[in-house]
Amino acid sequence: MQTALQKALELILSGDRELANILLVTAKTCVTSSLIALLVGLPIGIWLGASRFRGRQALVVFFRTMMGMPPVVCGLVMYMLFSGVGPFGKKKLLFTVTIMIIAQVVLITPLVVANLETYVAAIAQSVRETAKGLGIGPWRTFLLLSNECMYPIFSTYLLAFARSIAEVGAVSMVGGAIAWKTNVMTTAIMLYTNRGSFTLGVALGVILIAISLLVNIAVTVMQRRLSR
Amino acid sequence: MKIAACSKTYGKRTVLRCGELTLEPGEVCAVVGPNGSGKSTYAKLIAGVLEPDRAGRLVEEAVTIRYMPQKSYPFRMSVEKNILLSGDDRERARELMEKLRLTALVRQRAGSLSGGEAAKMALARVLMQRCDLLILDEPTAAMDMESAIAAEQLIQNYRQENGCAVLLVTHDLSQARRMAGNALFFYGGELCEAGSAETVLFHPEREETRQFLEYYGGFAKR
Repeated sequence: MQTALQKALELILSGDRELANILLVTAKTCVTSSLIALLVGLPIGIWLGASRFRGRQALVVFFRTMMGMPPVVCGLVMYMLFSGVGPFGKKKLLFTVTIMIIAQVVLITPLVVANLETYVAAIAQSVRETAKGLGIGPWRTFLLLSNECMYPIFSTYLLAFARSIAEVGAVSMVGGAIAWKTNVMTTAIMLYTNRGSFTLGVALGVILIAISLLVNIAVTVMQRRLSR
Repeated sequence: MKIAACSKTYGKRTVLRCGELTLEPGEVCAVVGPNGSGKSTYAKLIAGVLEPDRAGRLVEEAVTIRYMPQKSYPFRMSVEKNILLSGDDRERARELMEKLRLTALVRQRAGSLSGGEAAKMALARVLMQRCDLLILDEPTAAMDMESAIAAEQLIQNYRQENGCAVLLVTHDLSQARRMAGNALFFYGGELCEAGSAETVLFHPEREETRQFLEYYGGFAKR
């Protein structure tokens, strides 16, 4: 373990270009996919939590089920859709960072929706009754409800980011873990381990956890400041 | 103003059945009854936050209603901003906060208030605008006696200034006696008694009303 930590430190300090590339692809994939998932999932989650309509429960069950979808299954579906014979084959997105982001958005969005739906459903009735009692219209009520979700939005983002950065099944299937192109931290760890380079694998693992820690600290600080 | 007859059913269970009622402008009508008797449901149906079995408003469209629910939501912002949510008259907000002794809490976040303070804030918030019908569901239940009396005075002033009718849901029969000219008694989801507060609280016709009121010693002596 000590050797791995030493190696991790050496790798970072050496300015290794391949490592820099892996870090860059990882950051691009994770930040983009988690942000898109948040932007898509946020209104859906709030709407689902606040509304009462026929079929709502079925939608909630759908998103909760999708939340537990194995990443490899998501990767497989994306692979079939975007492979040469698939309906989106002409887009030629397979083995690119773009398809990795799309796969992760599909994987993470249900997590965002289900998480926010649970929070909003608990407060929506009280917010709605209070707002209606004050003569506040539906759009302003929606904005007030969104403002109430500020704190859970941050924790949901952290959840989305964590799922994204730790994910390996979908990105390796649709991205192919191509060096200098689609190789991210998790797929690189898998590759190095398969090659027998355990120390390098553990070193990358340490860097991965360190990145996750830094993002968590940053988001938690923002959460505290904005939620005050 | 007329309040249409209404009912509310969940599945096969009817939780409220009530005939047509008339409220006069400037009147305070207390709604009393045991827990689960349908008082709050009735208030919600009139306020329009709950849909009656036969969809539609229970009062005419032209009637403006302001409603303070039993658990009024403290929005994630300062006390002052919460109060200004329902109107931008800062002078009025300041006056209400002063009367309810909230001035020291102006910048405090609503979420950090005690139950009584939150209730005072909710009352100030609902009294910001003029209306024709003010519905208050247990507005002083969480307040201490001194604050409750100040709140009652504020409600009475508001009623006199605006000439609006007030529907006051309360468990506090002394409060009902102090504030209301008329009273409604709900029991088991039905309106059992309606009339002057004096009659309903002291000389009720129905046995259920008498039994309930006896717990409050001094009311409805046989």
